[in-house]
Amino acid sequence: MAETVLMRNFARADSHTLASYRAHGGYAAWDTARQMEPAALVDAVKASNLRGLGGAGFPTGTKWSFIPKNHTGPVYLVVNADEGEPGTFKDRYLLERDPHALVEGMLIAARAIRSAVGFVYIRGEYVEPWRRFSSAVREAYDAGLLGQGFDVVVHRGAGAYICGEETGLISSLEGKKGWPKVKPPFPAIKGAFGQPTIVNNVETLCCVPPIVERGAAWFAGLGTKTQGGTRMYSVSGRVARPGVYEAPVSVTLRQLIFEHAGGVSATGRLKAVVPGGGSAAILTADEVDVTMDVDGLKNAGTMIGSAGVIVMDESVSIPEALMVLARFYAHESCGQCTPCRESTGWIYKMLHRLVEGHGHKDDLDTILDVAKRGGGTTICAFYDGAIGPYISYIEKFRPEFEALIPRA
Amino acid sequence: MPKLTINGKEIEVPTGTNLIEAARLAGFDVPHYCYHPALSIAGQCRLCMVDIEKTPRPTIACNTQAAEGMVVHTETERVKEMRRSMMEFHLINHPLDCPVCDQAGECFLQIYYMKHGLYDPRMTDEKVHKPKAVPLGPHVILDAERCILCSRCVRFCDEITGTGELGIFNRGDHSEIGLFPGHDLSNKYSGNVVDICPVGALTDRDFRFKVRVWYLDTAKSICPGCARGCNVDVHVNRRRPHHDGGRRVARLKPRFNADINRWWLCDDGRYGFGSVDDPDRVIAPARREGGAAREVSWDEAIAEVAAALGRVRPDEVGVLASARMANEDLFALKTLAAALGITRVAFAVPPAMPGDEDKLLIRSDKNPNTRGAELIGLGGEARALLTDARDGRLRCLWVFHHDLLASAWPAGETRAALERLDTLIWSGTNAGATSALAHLVLPSAAWVEREGTFTNFEGRVQRFRTAVEPLGAARPDWMVLGELLGVLALDGGGATRAEHWFQRLANAVAAFTGMSYRTVGDAGQTTRSPS
Amino acid sequence: MSVQSLAFSPEQLAEVRRLQALYPDPRGALLPVLHMAQDTFGHISLPTEEYVAGLFDLSPAHVHEVVTFYTLYFRAPKGRHVVAVCHNLSCYLAGAPEILAHVKRRLGVEPGETTTDGRVTLQSVECLCACEAAPMMQVDDRYELNLTPEKVDRILEGLH
Repeated sequence: MAETVLMRNFARADSHTLASYRAHGGYAAWDTARQMEPAALVDAVKASNLRGLGGAGFPTGTKWSFIPKNHTGPVYLVVNADEGEPGTFKDRYLLERDPHALVEGMLIAARAIRSAVGFVYIRGEYVEPWRRFSSAVREAYDAGLLGQGFDVVVHRGAGAYICGEETGLISSLEGKKGWPKVKPPFPAIKGAFGQPTIVNNVETLCCVPPIVERGAAWFAGLGTKTQGGTRMYSVSGRVARPGVYEAPVSVTLRQLIFEHAGGVSATGRLKAVVPGGGSAAILTADEVDVTMDVDGLKNAGTMIGSAGVIVMDESVSIPEALMVLARFYAHESCGQCTPCRESTGWIYKMLHRLVEGHGHKDDLDTILDVAKRGGGTTICAFYDGAIGPYISYIEKFRPEFEALIPRA
Repeated sequence: MPKLTINGKEIEVPTGTNLIEAARLAGFDVPHYCYHPALSIAGQCRLCMVDIEKTPRPTIACNTQAAEGMVVHTETERVKEMRRSMMEFHLINHPLDCPVCDQAGECFLQIYYMKHGLYDPRMTDEKVHKPKAVPLGPHVILDAERCILCSRCVRFCDEITGTGELGIFNRGDHSEIGLFPGHDLSNKYSGNVVDICPVGALTDRDFRFKVRVWYLDTAKSICPGCARGCNVDVHVNRRRPHHDGGRRVARLKPRFNADINRWWLCDDGRYGFGSVDDPDRVIAPARREGGAAREVSWDEAIAEVAAALGRVRPDEVGVLASARMANEDLFALKTLAAALGITRVAFAVPPAMPGDEDKLLIRSDKNPNTRGAELIGLGGEARALLTDARDGRLRCLWVFHHDLLASAWPAGETRAALERLDTLIWSGTNAGATSALAHLVLPSAAWVEREGTFTNFEGRVQRFRTAVEPLGAARPDWMVLGELLGVLALDGGGATRAEHWFQRLANAVAAFTGMSYRTVGDAGQTTRSPS
Repeated sequence: MSVQSLAFSPEQLAEVRRLQALYPDPRGALLPVLHMAQDTFGHISLPTEEYVAGLFDLSPAHVHEVVTFYTLYFRAPKGRHVVAVCHNLSCYLAGAPEILAHVKRRLGVEPGETTTDGRVTLQSVECLCACEAAPMMQVDDRYELNLTPEKVDRILEGLH
């Protein structure tokens, strides 16, 4: 049976308290880390093959090493707790059930990047998680864990999916609209408030204490050659047991659906799966023998993203499902750059019209062409996330879309 | 100074130059909307993409700095295809307003569509609707549907005027430029947002529906509104005289000058040209006898000036020149005064209201040529002239352009002084209370109706050029003064162009030594400091 | 609500200053202070935006940008309770359209509207990230999970 690392404390009712966390080995990793040089911490995380678990899958240790060595001013650690990718709910669990794991992860990361201030940006809708985490922060201050060279500022968002994009989050933290920033410069060079900044996902930072305590080699060994560790897979949709499941990153999609989540519900026949949150290209029922790691899914033409697995059975209308997502992208587009702002609304209109039975015969090719023309041209990857579904749902299930278009 | 190659052409540029500017220096146009050299980088329109070797995807040129050894291609098939895509994205929700939009003919959606688009539109769904024809203040009107959300106007109000009136509200394709509800676009440079708006979203209320831009002719000029001397282009409508009540000057636009006004023009200057075509323009010489004014010919008028001067001693003559006169006019006047031995000459009359001033362009001295008048040596004590007239020591006064009864001088004393004169001669463009009292009214050509030079407060001499023919019988002051010199058989006659007077000025006044219209050119030339 | 009451108490102003001091640029406290304003005044009116702009030395237009960008700021008075039904993919797969239709029938309003008795404002929203318990909705501060029409009825009856 695979190790439970990230969800190890979840079963206890008081797992969110300092006392409970400490009683079960909490903050021992921080005690170890305090004796290590920042560079050694960065090396450890590099060697662990930890990849970002928020969506981009970038090697975490490498990201930490981008902070300029000769920078004399402040360095900021920013925690992305703006979970918003459809089908994803793992960070919510961590905030509610193991907030001190995040605090400890922040302490270690801050030491590694020489940061004295960490901002935790929690989506505005997550009120209970915000209360739980704020309470843990207070406990940590009272216990002298925080406030001794590292401070934590907890910041609530106000409702915008784009604030989950790291520079959109930074803009929002700075008191502006959540408009992602033109890159370069990249956040590690010039980020929040103009200073070098590392933005890490909640779950990514929760991996850090186990890495320090049990070793980079151990963590790397849990996963694949290019990605270490376990991660929490959010499984929902037409499955018997929707929920969050921890598994090594080498787990396959088939195992997640049929072993962890109890198999397909409704008709019981698998039709399609979204493997990595709403923005991931869809996989058909015969494409589920893939490993759920960054490279495994990239090679399958999709992405692991936030590891939000949404299962669809035979009774699901793929065009309707795409319309639901297209409505989401149109609503959440920040509007800053032209291709995304103008085409997300237009594509939703076309899909809505199609689902209502008023599609034109050229609409599908128009959607595909517009999506492909916009890919790779925008300020941030939001649009690339939008075209994942636009293109893959239509290309892989085209007859189902065409069936909705009235014959002339 | 990095050396890079653009479209096969090697070029060296200053460090920090972005690729749009580098391409411009190399002679290539990279189409763009949101980029503006005066403003921060937005990177929003995505139109300025170029191909850079060793970079897998096209990159925006505005946010990429030229680097040593960079190899850039701005006209690859991939870049052209991307421009076509971006034109389509920009036009998805754009209303088909061209037939009713003032921007037509100078609109960068039109221009770039014809150059980089030329695709068949396929958007058949309902476009997003937003507010149209929304006044944003006294000078600017917004059509939010036409807006391409390049954010130039927002950045202008944040970064140039520091007033922050504009924002982009909502998100996605419901994003909208606007003011805080109930507020005004009230900064003194609001008209500039119309210039920098690439499309017809922000247009000029003053110019609205006046005339199609392709009927306009243009002339380079200098704004006469204050001592800054901002460079402008005067746009005149000669070809559609049935528009706008026959007014000839349609609008002013700023002309770029790196040292004086950069890209900008204040609202007072931009919208202050109306007097040129106002009904109170004085367009014919006139003599007032008894109560009535009678139109006369220039010959008769000049003869009467000569006669009036001949009836008194030189020390009984006063001349109130004006800092609104050009260097050429002032030097002709100086020549006349010197030749006739007239020493009571001044130019500075205090305005009724003190002028406003700011740190951007606006100077409190609302005259374009104070420095010129000082350098040419016409600075006397103007108040003394008034006192002399009031006390009868002056019998003939020639006033250029001032309405003394609208100045800061006490109206009663001023009127009494003017009425006591034997002869009051008034030269100017628009009638006023002083011209109504004058025995002789001589119509001056307005600044757009002639050429000449002004000297700004920093000593910068700048040329302004003729945009329209003088109205009626109006003539440039230098011409009237030259004719008078001719009639009086004094040296100075014979000048047929303003340039002749400028040459004489350059030969006579040390500050202008070595200058000519050629050396002044379009960028201007600074006067020499006294050594 | 009279204009005079649109001001924070001295204690609240001290909290505003404390929040502003937490950020390298005090503007970082704008979103938290707007939440404070909404909690205090019920919603964020235009005078409130101008008031907050004054606390931050920002132009009102830039505060308006922020208020109109984010979905959690109410620009008009809202009901005593806010019911936000998720309509994104996993909830859609679990029957969100039927739940939303049921809620609309029970309350007699469309999404974006408030019941005439001022009790509930209904919204139809994007992913709240509780997909394992779909269909679900957010009622004020809490998530209500695994909804059925009966459960919805019980929840709505408990809102006064």
